[in-house]
Amino acid sequence: MGALQGRVAGVARYALLVLPLAFVAGALLVPLGLMFVWSFWERAGFWIRPAFTLASYAEFFAGVRLSVLERSLVVAAGVTLLGLLLAYPIAYFLALRVRRDLARNVLLLFTIPFLVNYIIRTFSWVYLLSRTGPVNRALMAAGVTQRAVDWLLFSDFAVFVGLISSYMPFMIYPLWAALDGLDRRLVEASWLLGASPRVTFLRVTLPLSMPGVFAAVIFGFVGTFGESAVPIILGGVGYQLMGNTITSALDVLNYPLAAAMSSVVVATMLAFLLVWYLAFDLRAVLGKIARWRF
Amino acid sequence: MENDGTDSPGVSRREFLERLAAGGAGLAVAGGLARPGAPAWAAKGSVTLADVGVGDPGGDWSKFSGPTGWDVKLVAMGNAPSGVLNVLIAGGGTQIYDVVNIVGGMQKPLVENNLIEPIDTARVPNWGKDTYIREFLAPGKPGFDFIGYKGNVYGVPTVLQGDSFAYLPEKTGPLDSYGALFDPKWKGFVALEDNFTTTGQKTALYLQKNRLASIKDPANMTPAEIKTVIDFLIAKKKAGQFRVIWSSFEQSVNLLTSREVYVMDCWEPMVFVAKKKGVSAVYAAPKEGYLLWAMAAYIVRNPKRSKEQEKAAYELLDFMLGGWYGAKITLSRGYMTNPAAVAYAKSNPGEFGPAEAQEIAAIDANVRKKFQFGGTWQNRWPTHVETYESEWARFKAA
Repeated sequence: MGALQGRVAGVARYALLVLPLAFVAGALLVPLGLMFVWSFWERAGFWIRPAFTLASYAEFFAGVRLSVLERSLVVAAGVTLLGLLLAYPIAYFLALRVRRDLARNVLLLFTIPFLVNYIIRTFSWVYLLSRTGPVNRALMAAGVTQRAVDWLLFSDFAVFVGLISSYMPFMIYPLWAALDGLDRRLVEASWLLGASPRVTFLRVTLPLSMPGVFAAVIFGFVGTFGESAVPIILGGVGYQLMGNTITSALDVLNYPLAAAMSSVVVATMLAFLLVWYLAFDLRAVLGKIARWRF
Repeated sequence: MENDGTDSPGVSRREFLERLAAGGAGLAVAGGLARPGAPAWAAKGSVTLADVGVGDPGGDWSKFSGPTGWDVKLVAMGNAPSGVLNVLIAGGGTQIYDVVNIVGGMQKPLVENNLIEPIDTARVPNWGKDTYIREFLAPGKPGFDFIGYKGNVYGVPTVLQGDSFAYLPEKTGPLDSYGALFDPKWKGFVALEDNFTTTGQKTALYLQKNRLASIKDPANMTPAEIKTVIDFLIAKKKAGQFRVIWSSFEQSVNLLTSREVYVMDCWEPMVFVAKKKGVSAVYAAPKEGYLLWAMAAYIVRNPKRSKEQEKAAYELLDFMLGGWYGAKITLSRGYMTNPAAVAYAKSNPGEFGPAEAQEIAAIDANVRKKFQFGGTWQNRWPTHVETYESEWARFKAA
């Protein structure tokens, strides 16, 4: 009887595993695999046919779209870095410097923007940063400038503002979780051993919070890298990230080119994750013991 | 009865959707949300119309449902060529939709993918009465490319319009040339549409008419001609001429109403909205002519469609060429529809007040004037469409 129960439990465990695995395979791996295969196919009229050609990759790497990939990487890295610089102090104070109930309330406040449609939130920046918007009016009223500042909107600045405001809140939560779970006795021990606050932060707090940094960087970088709405709304004359140029290729049914560009994006992200994994232990993010490899 | 596996055995996708809709209608009635005067369920079934947001007469299809016994199920659809094709090919749209009402000129990809049926105009009584079709869209005229392909008619023209650009006369004074989009006087205060078949073609028209470049046909440029146009736009972009390229209706209206830009390549309805918001925007009458286009309602190819369903689809096409529908769409969208619209609005004061009838007549006359003046017919699928797209990408990346 006991053996039977054990067997049933074992089967149930596998069944539980099989379902999510099948879902991941069906919803993620199969489409990604098809995308990769199609990137080598050739166009046939308005559709595609099996072949093995690198034409789409050649078109991508030889054309102007490569500059879009470069820009996407630079923007994603920049937004992630700036987002981290903003999110870390916020998470730090919420986790270590303010009362828990207050921290919870502030964290709740950071979710409020998500109650508003993402596109509407982005459009609100257009109003705020436009030539006749409140920011320019305030600058002119304060005598900072005589005429409206053009670069506030439809510029790199506007794209960074839009992306940071969109993705920075996502970065705060993992950072807060990592810092909040930090063993305070280690910090106290550092003080007792005579380390200054700066040294304690650099040698104790920061390394122990790296799992949170890891997750925050993933959230910031991946989200920004695949972004397409913010550049269109805030970016000015033809500001494109990879999402935009892939959509553009799809507009003329150039599926192999779109698949090739998407494959390059996925490969770039995988490379990024691999490098990140070599620096950090992925298990740390999954709730296991954090281990800073350097 | 076909079963495509989307639901329980013996129930087709169409029936499945109809049952869902019926359930929704039931809930709406229960909740007091049912449209006054609309039948809760038409006796014969429904015709599914996929539309890009222009062809909805305010949700009121009673003038079609009453005489025919068929209801209309309106489904939203994107207008981008890839979106249309993807929905019909990969999204199973041929099994779901009876009619798609999109900006025309898509016959080549739609016909070559077996996605639409040729239209037997003899089954559309209003077809022969429509003088706009004879005048602007008949075989042999450039406008035929918006509804026909290889001599056959595939689309019923539901809306006609001529596009140019908008400007704020308070800032610029009167403007009458696309040259305003490229005039250094308005440097940094110009917006373009993010669309290579509209902006590219208008620029080509400007360059051609002003003898600034050798372009044979702005509607179907050679790769070299496209490159010339894009080089011109890139030079202007680098000089700081353009503030932004817009990609949504709301975005472009906002650019005008906030006076972020003074001159904008856009559609006329944006000017209507801006005016309603108190901004005295003007839609230009450029000396180079207009970018002319038409919306086409296509019958989606579905060999399993019943004869009754097909008849209903034809009846809907005929209804869309009728006076009431035309007047409704002209009034709500600002586009010309069919010659019967003006007369219907005028002779039915119970349905359209004198001011509305006057507005419909004014819009109709305005658009008709544009067509008589001429310009270039928008080409949604030019021969070298991929070059258009890649060159447009070059402009955006420059």
